[in-house]
Amino acid sequence: MSRKEHPVWEEELMPYVDGQLDAAQASEIEKHLKECEECAAVIADARLLSKQMGTWVVENSPRGMDEHVLSEMEKKKGRRQQWAWWSRNRSWAFGLGGAFAAVALMVVLMPSHKDDLSNHFGDASRSVAGQINPAPLQRPAMPQDGNQQGQQGQQGQQGQQGQQTLDSLLAKTLPAAQSQPTAEAPSGPMIIRNARLSILTKEFEAARARIQAIVQQTQGYLDQLTVRGETGSGKSLSATLRLPSSQLESGLVELRKLGKVLEESQGSSDVTSQYVDLQARLTNARNTEQRLLALQRERTDKLTDVVGVEREIARVREEIERMEAQRKDVFNKTQFATIQVELSEEYRAEIQPSAPSAGTQLHNALVDGYHGALNSLLALALFFLRYGPALLLWAIVLVPVALLLRRRLQGLRIG
Amino acid sequence: MKSDEQLMLEYQGGSPHAFEQLFERYRNPVYGFFRRRLNNASRAEELAQETFVVILRDTEQYKPTARFRTYMYAIALKQLWSERRKEIRDGKLAAAVLHEERPQGDPETGLWVRAALEQLDPDHREVLMLREYEQLSYDEIAEVLAVPVNTVRSRLSRARVELKSLLESQSARGVSR
Repeated sequence: MSRKEHPVWEEELMPYVDGQLDAAQASEIEKHLKECEECAAVIADARLLSKQMGTWVVENSPRGMDEHVLSEMEKKKGRRQQWAWWSRNRSWAFGLGGAFAAVALMVVLMPSHKDDLSNHFGDASRSVAGQINPAPLQRPAMPQDGNQQGQQGQQGQQGQQGQQTLDSLLAKTLPAAQSQPTAEAPSGPMIIRNARLSILTKEFEAARARIQAIVQQTQGYLDQLTVRGETGSGKSLSATLRLPSSQLESGLVELRKLGKVLEESQGSSDVTSQYVDLQARLTNARNTEQRLLALQRERTDKLTDVVGVEREIARVREEIERMEAQRKDVFNKTQFATIQVELSEEYRAEIQPSAPSAGTQLHNALVDGYHGALNSLLALALFFLRYGPALLLWAIVLVPVALLLRRRLQGLRIG
Repeated sequence: MKSDEQLMLEYQGGSPHAFEQLFERYRNPVYGFFRRRLNNASRAEELAQETFVVILRDTEQYKPTARFRTYMYAIALKQLWSERRKEIRDGKLAAAVLHEERPQGDPETGLWVRAALEQLDPDHREVLMLREYEQLSYDEIAEVLAVPVNTVRSRLSRARVELKSLLESQSARGVSR
């Protein structure tokens, strides 16, 4: 069968049989079919085959299916209602929870506060240091949630391991009937907490050292620190501290002791739904990756198909890594509260050094006079050099005119 | 009549009735999907149930940009592949031959079709079955199997040629007997 005799190949006839062509393409094939018995026979065969396949009829689904699916639907409905209750009453729950936490905190801190009043600053810091082991001032290892632990090693070495990782993943996940990594839902609300303190202190350097000590004691880290000091004003410090969320309150208590608190604010944002959504999307992407890996393993198609699957796997993996990073970021933000500290020094003007002696002043005057004379000579020379030629030119023009005028005036007087 | 995608969105929005409609719409097609591909009716029922349960559990995963049928059959295929891997592990697949109760419809031709389909290349057979029994379009088959549309087209064409020849040879043997 040549292309000249048959402008359409047999393979191209199938979309016509299956109604997958647009009107223009279909009419072109219809035109050809009127002239070509061979192609018309192919179409007739395909239709007959479709009819024959239609003779294999299976029974309807058993009614027992309903029970299982509908019971699952009821369970889901229950979960949704619980979530809806949480969404409606979340603010109340947080409010009550916050109130209980505040009362508990007050009860816990009351005796130590009394001690603090009777002790010096250093004593108080020692008492805190006694409770918490000092840690070096460095960014601590981030806490790891369940999924992170599961992903350990896979993230960092992915580029090197290549096919090995792919195979190990495949081996790990495929045997399971449900090859879906289950997303771990957060056990409670996930809150990002932050606070801002503006403090005025008399002992700037001590306060600065104390900030670093607080960071160490709470096992947090110093995200950013800027110190400014200008003549005529006190020093100021701007720092961003990241303390474990559980240590936020104790950290704030210690920071307030640095001096006079000018301004304080606290805030929080609930990222539970964002985290759950991210988790769900991550699970979905991992499922897709597993499907693709299964395809890659089971298919022995053309090279272009295999390359296509591999490209898709790479894309999905990139997406998974991006979402995993976002999820870690959100998780870490909930684990470490942010405190923005603005520390200002109470400025005390310093006595200026004494005025210079008379000899020094005379010497200075003499030097200034010498420089002034030199400068005026130089200025005069510059003036003549700059304007001399122009003055000479005008003199050549104007002097004869002036002389002429003068003679005439004298002639008039005599006359 | 509301589209599948509309019903799925309504279910996401909290309407259980929408999912009931989807279930009624697809319970037989999904059961048929597994019934034609597995030799065990009760396992086919379980996997059909499981497919709907996965859709229910992962409702939030569904994005209206994807056609519901594609989404559903992609899940069903995943279940099927998983089942086949299990069968291979347990050594059941080798023993699984054409047997069991006779199919409904025209029993003689139905059996022939089934036997002939069993002999097709698995990739070709899957494309042909998705087209003929699940009535998926070429685009939908390509999406479900994650292959290009041209691959679907060529596999379908080859599957039909192979099946026709197998049915003709079976028919000739039947007549000679």
